[in-house]
Amino acid sequence: MNILIVEDEKSLASEIAEFLRSENFLCDIANTGTEASEKIAINLYDFVLLDLGLPDYNGLDLLKEARTNNSEASFIIITARGAVEDKVKGLNLGADDYLAKPFALIELLSRINAVARRKFNVTNTDITLGDFTMQVQSRKLVCKGSDVDLTKKEFDLLQYLVLNKDKVLTRHQLYEHIWGNLLDDQYDSNFIDVHIKNLRKKLNLHAPSQWLETVRGIGYRISTE
Amino acid sequence: MARNSQRDRLQDQYGINGLTRRQMLKLNFKLSLFNLLSKLVFTGLFLLLMPYIIERINLKQVDNDLVQKREQVLALISDIGIEPFITSDSSFGSFNILKEEFISIEKTSSVEDLNFIEVTTRIIEDEEIGYRVLNYSFKIEDQNYLLEVGKSLVSISRTGRNIRNLMLVFLAFIIVITFFTDTLYTRLLLTPLERIKGKLKMISDPSLFDKVPVKTSTSDFYRLDNALCEVMDNLNQLFQKEKEITVNISHELMTPISVLRSKLENILMKEDIKPDTATKVEDSLKTLHRLQSLVSSLLMIARIESNQYLREDSFFINDVLKEIIKELEPIAEDANIKLRNNIKDDLKIKEANRSLIFSMFYNVVNNSLKNTPSEGNVLISGTFNQKKFTVNISDTGRGMTEMQKSLLFSRFRIRDKNSGEGTGIGLAIAKTIADFHKIEISVTSEPEEGTTFSFIFPENS
Repeated sequence: MNILIVEDEKSLASEIAEFLRSENFLCDIANTGTEASEKIAINLYDFVLLDLGLPDYNGLDLLKEARTNNSEASFIIITARGAVEDKVKGLNLGADDYLAKPFALIELLSRINAVARRKFNVTNTDITLGDFTMQVQSRKLVCKGSDVDLTKKEFDLLQYLVLNKDKVLTRHQLYEHIWGNLLDDQYDSNFIDVHIKNLRKKLNLHAPSQWLETVRGIGYRISTE
Repeated sequence: MARNSQRDRLQDQYGINGLTRRQMLKLNFKLSLFNLLSKLVFTGLFLLLMPYIIERINLKQVDNDLVQKREQVLALISDIGIEPFITSDSSFGSFNILKEEFISIEKTSSVEDLNFIEVTTRIIEDEEIGYRVLNYSFKIEDQNYLLEVGKSLVSISRTGRNIRNLMLVFLAFIIVITFFTDTLYTRLLLTPLERIKGKLKMISDPSLFDKVPVKTSTSDFYRLDNALCEVMDNLNQLFQKEKEITVNISHELMTPISVLRSKLENILMKEDIKPDTATKVEDSLKTLHRLQSLVSSLLMIARIESNQYLREDSFFINDVLKEIIKELEPIAEDANIKLRNNIKDDLKIKEANRSLIFSMFYNVVNNSLKNTPSEGNVLISGTFNQKKFTVNISDTGRGMTEMQKSLLFSRFRIRDKNSGEGTGIGLAIAKTIADFHKIEISVTSEPEEGTTFSFIFPENS
């Protein structure tokens, strides 16, 4: 997939590009609104990551303009101004999603994937994890014919790990995804540990869950090898 | 508000200029009191001096009277001659019946010119009576005559007494009347001051100051009101600027944090990374998250304070509390703390921001859980207390000293070592959200016993 990254902070743009390339995306970078405007007029992109805080261009104007020139593209707005109005305005102008800075690269990837799935109407297929099957559509985890009783948060946690399988996710990345921007001043919180502990307990009642790994000092990973 | 009441308490305790607040008086009362006292002092002085003054006035009046009578008598004599009054050796004397006045004319051998007024006693019909007497000598056809015109002193002092009594009644009447009119007028005069006071009392923030000028014809009050308006305006602008700066700085900080974060995350995802490098990178990420959380918190507070959040939701408080309990139950269970819900009443709050209210309770319940040891309890209850809905969050934690309590809601408070990790800004956020919704927070705490946070909702919410 072809992605244009519109971001005036060059080193951030290159980090995002590096990450997305490693995930097999084709990336193009525009550091100014004018440059972005030109690139959008010439090339066809599947995605545009748009920073609203551009020095030379009102990000929302660029969005309006791009929607008419490059209507196939999906837009994900990135902004350091996490104000509610910006979000509402952006989504009203046809942006597909919205991310507040600073965000996890993993989170960006899962947003892109979610938008892509919606766009190309990909039905979520069931995923097999050892003896377990995750039925994404009906939000159920089944083991040998019986449901595993998970809370909403536990399911969300597991699903996020599954979506990013074979990647190590840090506790904070998991927390941020599930609790959003709920501010918790206890940044060393053991929320995720507690939920993973409960999750494992429930899984182990049905079948072994060694595929859910703890990576010492970093976080958690679902390994499919 | 909390700062004000603290100041009030200090003033109650230690006073200002040696006076406690309770010993202070209202201006209105002071003016009335002074007014009354000054009236009484002047009246007293007047009453002391009055007999002397009245006597002086009286005598003057009597003397004038006597002179006038003399002139009348002399006029009569020059009209009809002296003969009808004096025949050969006899003298003339005339009293009115009550002996209050007399006129006498007699021949005299003395050649002195007499013209004076004196006080003498005369014995008339075996009665000794004090008179004010005018002596006047005149000459007709080589014969000297002495004219005496007298007025009884009893009648003089009687008039004096009458005047005094009348004066007393009149003065008492005047004092009462003027005291009331003065008091009323002072009150009327001070109304603008009361209004200005009222304007100051109602506000918790300079932006809320009522800029409508107080109606007054007194230039001092007008100036005071104007000056206050200006001060409030300036303060407001400063506050606004400070909030803007906080918002802008926070935004500016988010971009470098974002860059660092992406870089670190990319390093962490490298396949050939060594485990100890990975741990260090994750540690750096943690530190960065701490910074991010701090900046986000400041941003959130600044946004709330500059009214960037909407208050358009109406919802049941219990639903929010139940949601929080559900969220935090696994954490409580893990820490072996009983998180119990004892909600009796419910309140449907209007014109509020649900996610902010959620954050407010969440932060406080979370704080209680962090400060409660294993086997402890955290109890959430909601009741109506004197028509006001109150949510109490009590824990059996380690409690706080008065000193800790007073610093509880301040941002980046000085914390002691055993208060755990954390940016300590969660409660400051809770307080800001409470202020935004006009919810009053009160805290009671006993060291080693536990702490209770009470959220008192305004009556009309």
